[in-house]
Amino acid sequence: MLNVLAAAEWGGEFEGVLDPISALFEFPPILELELFGVDLSINRTIIIAWLGTIFIGVLFTLGARKAEVIPGKFQAFLEMIIDLNRTIALEIIGPKGTKFVPLLTTLFVTIFVLNFSKIFPLFMMPPTSRAAWPLFLALTTWLVFIGVGIKEQGFAGYFGGILFPPGVPKALYIILTPIELLSNLVLRPFTLAVRLFANMVAGHILVVITLVTIHVFLPSMPVGWMVGVFGLIAAPLVFAFELFIIGLQAYIFGMLSAVYIGSSLEAHH
Amino acid sequence: MLQAITFLAAENGGINLLPDASELIWGTVAFVILLALMLKLVFPKLNETLEERGAAIQGRMEDAEAKYQEAERARADYEESLAEARGEADRIIEEAKAAADDLRNEARSRAEAEAAQIIERAQSSVASERDRVLSELRGQVGALSVELASRIVERELDASTHEALVDEYIDQLSSQN
Repeated sequence: MLNVLAAAEWGGEFEGVLDPISALFEFPPILELELFGVDLSINRTIIIAWLGTIFIGVLFTLGARKAEVIPGKFQAFLEMIIDLNRTIALEIIGPKGTKFVPLLTTLFVTIFVLNFSKIFPLFMMPPTSRAAWPLFLALTTWLVFIGVGIKEQGFAGYFGGILFPPGVPKALYIILTPIELLSNLVLRPFTLAVRLFANMVAGHILVVITLVTIHVFLPSMPVGWMVGVFGLIAAPLVFAFELFIIGLQAYIFGMLSAVYIGSSLEAHH
Repeated sequence: MLQAITFLAAENGGINLLPDASELIWGTVAFVILLALMLKLVFPKLNETLEERGAAIQGRMEDAEAKYQEAERARADYEESLAEARGEADRIIEEAKAAADDLRNEARSRAEAEAAQIIERAQSSVASERDRVLSELRGQVGALSVELASRIVERELDASTHEALVDEYIDQLSSQN
């Protein structure tokens, strides 16, 4: 950040590169569409997300169609991803977790691929840094864990267990019930979405700043080029760090989804 | 990093924190299609493959267990046969040794008997030869004695003639032998 701000003083041509910052995240519509008064315009982020989704679909469909009892390298790679999610489901949710493996795998792979667009040379823009994607992914988890809770414990049983935890003095419900309501039904999806969103926004800015630092400082003489060289050295480390964050956020999202689904499967004690 | 975001957001007009309707709708549509694909196509096929693999592994393990048991039985049979063969071999060797001993003893006793016969025949032959020689010698001595006596009687002998007669007699004996 300081490097970028110092650009003007040290001779770097920074003017207009990050102006405005929203330009890093918002792209004009490529195709303008409107249906029943709802904006359905297609922009670069949507196309990146579609390409990512198609890539996942093709990858897994090919893997499933050519699935053999003795797997090849490609099938073994896909099975490794599924096994990771199966392990999460079985360890966190328990034996009932098996039926949530497809959902958890789809969430994990979608988030990973969309996050990976952040450092994928042709895209360099993660759709998960736009509020829409973290929001609907978190809402998917929210709908599933509430649906599972109602299915397993009944409407009254599930919401009664959440809002009025047993074994607590009744007077405390005045304080506890709003907290539990907020915690279970609002904060869970909100924190899921915000964690992913904020990490991807920050990561995208970090990647852009690193690349802009190289672009702005490297040609500037006599002092600024050293900052550019520093940016060149830092870029691979930043990309590696972002790759780690990309995987970590996908894993955390899947794991927390499993935790929430697991908590809905068993009644509050 | 959060400070940087806040700073940049404040300075440059901010990042849109609210979801864009088109992105929300298209993103959801894409995700729902992908989830349906995974649920209806990918996972049933992969689970089927996993079940086939499980069944194949189970089948192969059972097959391997059956083959192991079969091999164990074959090994036991083989060891039993080997023990029988060893016993048979030992028995044959003992029998051969006994037969060889018998043969040796028989040969030895036969050789001893033959040797004894040979010795006996030799001794008998020697004895008869000796008897024959003695008998012959006795006859010759008698003849010579008669001859010598006749010569002594024919002439008066002096000491030197006597000595010469004796020497002649001895010479005759030596030449005859």
